Amino acid sequence: MLPHILESAKLFYPELALTIAFCFVILAGLVTRNRIFTGLAGMAGVLAALYFVSVQAPVDGTAFSDMLAVDGFSRFFKIVILAATFIVQLFSLQSAELKSRAMGTAEYNALLTALALGMCLMAGASNMLMMYLALELTSITSYLLAGYTREAEDSAEAALKYVIYGAVASGMMLYGISIVYGLTGALDIYSVNQALGSGQVNLWTLILAGILITVGFGYKISAVPFHFWTPDVYEGAPVTITALLSVASKAAGFAMMIRFFRVTFADLIMGGQETGAWAMLGGFEWNEVLAVLAVLSMTLGNLVALWQNNLKRLLAYSSIAHAGYMLLGVVTMSPEGVSAVMIYFVVYLFMNLGAFYVVMLVADKTGSEEMSAYAGLGQRSPFIGVAMTIFLLSLTGIPPTAGFVGKLYIFSALIGAKMIGLVVIGALNSVVSLYYYVRILKNMFLKDAAPGGAVFGLSVPEVAMLLLLLVPTLLLGLYFGPLVEYAQASVSIFGIPR
Amino acid sequence: MHLPVPIEYYLALSAIMFITGVTGVLARRNAIVIFMSIELMLNSANLALVAFSTRMGNDAGQILVFFVMAVAAAEAAIGLAIVIALFRNRETVFVNDMNILKW
Amino acid sequence: MMQFLGLGILTWITFLPVAGMAVVLLLGKDNKQAIRWTAAVFTGIQVVIAALIYMGFDRGMSGINTMAGFQYVEKVSWIDIRSFSWFGNLKIEYFLGIDGLSVLMVILTALISFIAVFASWGIEKSLKGYFALLLLLDAGMMGVFVSLDFFLFYVFWEIMLLPMYFLIGIWGGPRREYAAIKFFLYTLLGSVRMLLAVIALYFSVSVLDPATGEKVHTFNMIAMMNPANFEPGSLLEGVGTTWRYMAFIALFIGFAIKVPIFPFHTWLPDAHVEAPTAISVILAGVLLKMGTYGILRVSFPMFPDAAVAYQIPLAILGFVNIVYGALVAMAQTDFKKLIAYSSISHMGVVILGMAALNTQGMTGAILQMFNHGTITAMLFLIVGVIYDRAHTRGLNEFGGLMNQMPRYSAVMVIAFFAALGLPGLSGFISEAFSFIGAFQAFRWIAIASTIGIVLTAAYMLWTLQRVFLGTLPEKWKDLPDINGRELFMLVPLAVIVIILGVYPAPAIDLMSSAVNTLVDIVNAQGAMALIGQ
Repeated sequence: MLPHILESAKLFYPELALTIAFCFVILAGLVTRNRIFTGLAGMAGVLAALYFVSVQAPVDGTAFSDMLAVDGFSRFFKIVILAATFIVQLFSLQSAELKSRAMGTAEYNALLTALALGMCLMAGASNMLMMYLALELTSITSYLLAGYTREAEDSAEAALKYVIYGAVASGMMLYGISIVYGLTGALDIYSVNQALGSGQVNLWTLILAGILITVGFGYKISAVPFHFWTPDVYEGAPVTITALLSVASKAAGFAMMIRFFRVTFADLIMGGQETGAWAMLGGFEWNEVLAVLAVLSMTLGNLVALWQNNLKRLLAYSSIAHAGYMLLGVVTMSPEGVSAVMIYFVVYLFMNLGAFYVVMLVADKTGSEEMSAYAGLGQRSPFIGVAMTIFLLSLTGIPPTAGFVGKLYIFSALIGAKMIGLVVIGALNSVVSLYYYVRILKNMFLKDAAPGGAVFGLSVPEVAMLLLLLVPTLLLGLYFGPLVEYAQASVSIFGIPR
Repeated sequence: MHLPVPIEYYLALSAIMFITGVTGVLARRNAIVIFMSIELMLNSANLALVAFSTRMGNDAGQILVFFVMAVAAAEAAIGLAIVIALFRNRETVFVNDMNILKW
Repeated sequence: MMQFLGLGILTWITFLPVAGMAVVLLLGKDNKQAIRWTAAVFTGIQVVIAALIYMGFDRGMSGINTMAGFQYVEKVSWIDIRSFSWFGNLKIEYFLGIDGLSVLMVILTALISFIAVFASWGIEKSLKGYFALLLLLDAGMMGVFVSLDFFLFYVFWEIMLLPMYFLIGIWGGPRREYAAIKFFLYTLLGSVRMLLAVIALYFSVSVLDPATGEKVHTFNMIAMMNPANFEPGSLLEGVGTTWRYMAFIALFIGFAIKVPIFPFHTWLPDAHVEAPTAISVILAGVLLKMGTYGILRVSFPMFPDAAVAYQIPLAILGFVNIVYGALVAMAQTDFKKLIAYSSISHMGVVILGMAALNTQGMTGAILQMFNHGTITAMLFLIVGVIYDRAHTRGLNEFGGLMNQMPRYSAVMVIAFFAALGLPGLSGFISEAFSFIGAFQAFRWIAIASTIGIVLTAAYMLWTLQRVFLGTLPEKWKDLPDINGRELFMLVPLAVIVIILGVYPAPAIDLMSSAVNTLVDIVNAQGAMALIGQ
């Protein structure tokens, strides 16, 4: 037993680094109130984790008796998650909203690392026990962070709504897990797959369980109809946390969901020889369920976003819509589709965090997240205006920005799988999304500043931060070869013949 | 292993508890009661897991139950802490009154 | 192949405006004169390069579907992805080149952009941003006409949207916000459909990589024109299949919105009326041509079967455009709106000509694209001149300007007569070719379309009458005549209109071999489809 644990620990260095950083920051918080120090300590932990992920040998394996899979797929998502966390930690150092809260800064930074840990575990979870635990670790830390500025009424309210929705979703998921366990006698998804493959399982019970488990995933990736918490939490939580939830926790949810569907329900022996697409056990097409979620998410997210005036809320609905686009990639149930989702996450990381960073800057400087605060921004602060323009165009998916590459690969995967109807819906949705993104552009450039709308400059770190997000957003739109190759090389899921 | 009570009884009870929990979440407006309903949902899953585990002579389910109990406690603690934070601001525990954020 | 500093001439002509944009952005905000002249110099060099291209252009080379037929070719590997299966292998190239189809458009773009800079001389609001966007727009338009890789084409196609949105939205008239977003949404709606068709084409076409001997998917437009490159069992393989028709329609809608073809035209009058003069000039002079250019460059040679199958519907759309545009133009009292609808009518002639699928028709269509570019540019400039002075565009408010503004009237008469197709001016030649071609292909539609010519003559002459004849209203007693800068913009265009009207050979020579090749491809392969049915 001990040799196995030691062996597994070698694969577990990234998570260990995060755990150590978490403990260190908590302890440091007992002796210092310096938010910069604890912030930097947390960042060091995340950077160390990133380092350990990147130096891991490109071999697929599992750790801790098949609890965690360590494979190309999980490494890719861990990099996305950790990069997003790191960038958000940088935001947090600058955020005025957080500065105003004197108490508990060490806890804030510690929770960020704990959140990163939970999400990394989600990316690798290959046992339903681990899935549940990782999901809960992520969720519970998110509840706390969403309510972190608890003196603000909306923050506490957001946290409460989040807890209720999150707990219900995870309860449903747990019930689904218990049914799957009852059907197959296993929690480990590889054994579940074998048991299902033997064909002694009541299909309808399995479908019920699968749908209950999908509720858990749907909540985490904020897919319609499990999205109700999203706008409230995104609006109420501190901007930094909203940004993190919109990218990293969505990535973790997708990673867990893709692994679960890929391993549990796919016919691993017979499937995928001819077309590259996965065959499903028992003949139930899970991708049809996902397709419904995808279409609902895109359409509802985009349509409701049209009416929003609060930028955080608008971006919340936009993130629901983006979850829909990404779900389209999963619907193809093919390596092409999964790699498209992975590509999308990398570009989404930069463009969405960029948009949230601009929201944070404007909120810090004008005290408002409303659309009206953006009137005349193009004249008041041209650099922010141009940066926001590029982020928004990228979110719409207009070349030569990175967002176009993301959409291109999602659409390509669908057309490759001959799912023309879905791809048309996706394309039309991106036209709808243009309308509300352009509303922001309109306010920034076509409207004159309100009287008293101060001209504001940017400090050097702020410019550097914007450039850090802006450059990849443009560069990946013009030269995406390495990203695509890396993503396509990383679709390997442990135990799955490609 | 042989159960003195047929497994269907356990499962039926578990299903009833689960549905009661879901209904409670949907129908009740008091945040505390909602949390109690959520506990009911989690415990219904626990009951099913234990029943299955015993029936199949497989420990995995019972191990999961211990984790679920710990997590449920953590979740309840956080939930109640947030309710208290909100109560200090608002003097209410009814989710109907929480309407700063809406569509 | 012509090169300068290691870069091909087409790279220069495309990216010079981007360099100009960078210079403009570096200049101080208040240094207005320097900003204007920078833009003028960079677009001026562009015109010079266009002239060089024109002189060096080999009239005998055909282009269209053979690599060897293209001129000034530049081809560099841009993105080359090796994937886990050959399915995901991808090749995107920086592939530029021109042939008889595009050379006129390149010249037109350079010319119109240069003129647009002078037409923008009077802009005062955020001058720096204006010229930066104008130059970016110029680069995007030029890029569309020179790129032969579909990915590159699409990127340039989309790059234009944003500058156009801002140019209308910030510097436009009272309803600018509405017009700008309408333009943006319409074009994006078209281009996402186009994107889907492009992806489908990309998945269906593969070529052998000469280096490895592996099959690779490619965005190379020329490879997409060769039926042998279509992968067996792929979506768009075969002749006359439903998927091919759907892809053709998707592409067609993308292009049709740009042209604009009825019923996708409603964005155009709004955009034109609200846009500042220079932007209207660019919009009518170049942007609309991108739609018809796309149909000729992409839809016809890649889907000859569908082109033949949809010949008659296409011709009917051309007819509708001609007559509908003319009828609505007749009802206008706003000078600019009248010109906008006349554009729709004239673009209908292009559609009609290309639908004929024969040499005369296509020659007429391409020539009409160029001529309409120059003539409509003149018309919008003329509107701009009067609007700058009178601050109104109401046709009924004018009258008797002939004596008040004699030089202005002379220019306007040339432009109007060219627009209504008076023999001896360029519009006549191209319309005549289009109609002759159309008459051979579908007699009755062609005859019906001639109603449009009559209607055009009617509203053009009526407009002239309303503006020039009658008594001069009291308030216009001191309107100054056209000035030197305005003449500098209008006279070269007028010269081109007259020369091409008298002696069109210089333009027709450029494209004749390309047109013949295109006609052969469409008819040969299209006939195959008909036999197969």
